Amino acid sequence: MKKNILGIFLIVMAIFTGAMVQSGCGSRQNSSESNDGELKGTISISGAFALYPLTVRWAEEFQKEYPDVRIDISAGGAGKGMADVLSGMVDLAMFSREITPPEIEKGAWWVAVSKDAVLATINAGNPFLDQIRQHGISKEAFIGIFLDQNIKLWNECPGITGESDKINVFTRSDACGAAEMWGLFLGKNQESLKGIGVFGDPGIADAVKNDKLGLGYNNVIYAYDINTRKKYDGIEIVPIDMNGNGIVDPEEDFYGTLDEVCAAIADYRYPSPPARDLYLVSKGKPDNKLVIEFLHWILVNGQQYVSEAGYVHLSDTKIENELQKLK
Amino acid sequence: MIVSLVVVLAIPLVLMSGLLYKSAVLLEEHSMFNLLFSKEWKPLSGQFGFYTFIISSLWVTVVSLLIAAPICLLTAIHLTQYAKRWVLNLMHPVIDLLAGIPSVIFGVWGILVVVPAIADHIAPFFGKSVSGYSILAGAIVLSIMIIPFILNILIELFRNIPTELKEASLSLGATKWQTIKLVLIKKILPGIVSAFGLGMSRAFGETIAVLIVVGNVTQIPKGIFQPGYPLPALIANNYGEMLSIPMYDSALMLAALILFVIVLFFNFISRVIIIKSNKHN
Repeated sequence: MKKNILGIFLIVMAIFTGAMVQSGCGSRQNSSESNDGELKGTISISGAFALYPLTVRWAEEFQKEYPDVRIDISAGGAGKGMADVLSGMVDLAMFSREITPPEIEKGAWWVAVSKDAVLATINAGNPFLDQIRQHGISKEAFIGIFLDQNIKLWNECPGITGESDKINVFTRSDACGAAEMWGLFLGKNQESLKGIGVFGDPGIADAVKNDKLGLGYNNVIYAYDINTRKKYDGIEIVPIDMNGNGIVDPEEDFYGTLDEVCAAIADYRYPSPPARDLYLVSKGKPDNKLVIEFLHWILVNGQQYVSEAGYVHLSDTKIENELQKLK
Repeated sequence: MIVSLVVVLAIPLVLMSGLLYKSAVLLEEHSMFNLLFSKEWKPLSGQFGFYTFIISSLWVTVVSLLIAAPICLLTAIHLTQYAKRWVLNLMHPVIDLLAGIPSVIFGVWGILVVVPAIADHIAPFFGKSVSGYSILAGAIVLSIMIIPFILNILIELFRNIPTELKEASLSLGATKWQTIKLVLIKKILPGIVSAFGLGMSRAFGETIAVLIVVGNVTQIPKGIFQPGYPLPALIANNYGEMLSIPMYDSALMLAALILFVIVLFFNFISRVIIIKSNKHN
């Protein structure tokens, strides 16, 4: 008799432990539907700073619609989000660079949720400003500045004449999606970009604001004020001379306001990279109904909040593709 | 009591073994010698040379010590030998206050003041045109951070010298300055050296304040106006972003291990000097 009780006790314990392990020791609740079909549960998200403001906005709106849902978001860098999601600490990771093969091997599954872009920025008091706006800087010239270092002075850029002033090149010191994208645009990785390393997106913006001869690159929301939709004081954008004809053509000139730039990014007049998709990543296709529902909501209802937050809409075909992944 | 003692003793061992375990992935593929003396840092193409980072760290640390050491020594002498009692009493809380300022504040102050000062005044004085983000900027910020730390130790050292020594020297006809130079400093020289040693290990591991102003360019610095890239900055810059790439993760852990070993070495040397000098006396 005693043995039986002990046996039953052990089995119950084993089941209980199994359940605990399954649910990640209670750190993550699986979603469930209450009796009236309302969504309930918690979603935990961590990852890239680039996507953080928009995800917070989405979470607020989603929770207004589904008050029983809790969404916990923390930012700590794309790699941290990826590491967290692959180890099962969180449900979703915000991710702002292309997913690498080792990450895919470990089971990374992703949905593109929005876009943004990296823009070349200079000081508004740059002595060559008018010429730069007229001629732009071509991809080849950017390669000469950021990679080969055979262009060291402003007047060595095609079409620009004047004093022999140095270009003070700034790059990101911290590993990040923005620098990775700028590197990809020039055909390399972040680690190949030359220049003074400054920490963080605001760091480069400040360095450029304080240096008349500075040249850097920033995410859209750090170059434009999302409230006024204009460029931040002291910052100017370098037009990219895409066709390399030495002139900024009308179709290459869309840097006046935030909305113009976003429109140009959306219809690929601005090259991609440095424009990039922003992803939410999970480990394998999520089996949690709540997570699927949230992703679906982002792709359908969530897109209306994208542009006011300073990000770029995905194209309709892209959204269609991503929705297929969720099925 | 015994348990807590064991815990304290175990901490460095646990740290070290954890870092070793994490770096194993990288060490299986590359020899330690190669990693330490190769200049090529291109993690995505599989080249992990730490040489530039180690050299940059030494540059920043040594220059900051060259700035801080004379300031600390002269201040300590003045406060303990020349100044009125109330000045010392006033300075104590000021020094402690300085020691308690979070390092990120020093870093931001470095951006606002030190970097422009180097770009606009100091470098042009030496006939150079630079952006200001440099070894020198890092060293200036660092020196200000380690001054209170070293100064506290030095003041204690000077105050603990028996008065008889001073009196004996003065009664033999030595001037005050001769007494300080030839008797007092000689007496506590090992202590001074080890205070600098401890300051040096503090400086070597300082992360955020240096990272903000040093420029973070992967190259061997050829002078104090060139940017550098110290080890702690390497870890802090890439930690959040690259955790999910195994080799990169492992390389950062190895960087932490190298940092750990170097700082332990500095501390060990400082300790040995202290112990030796105690036996001596």
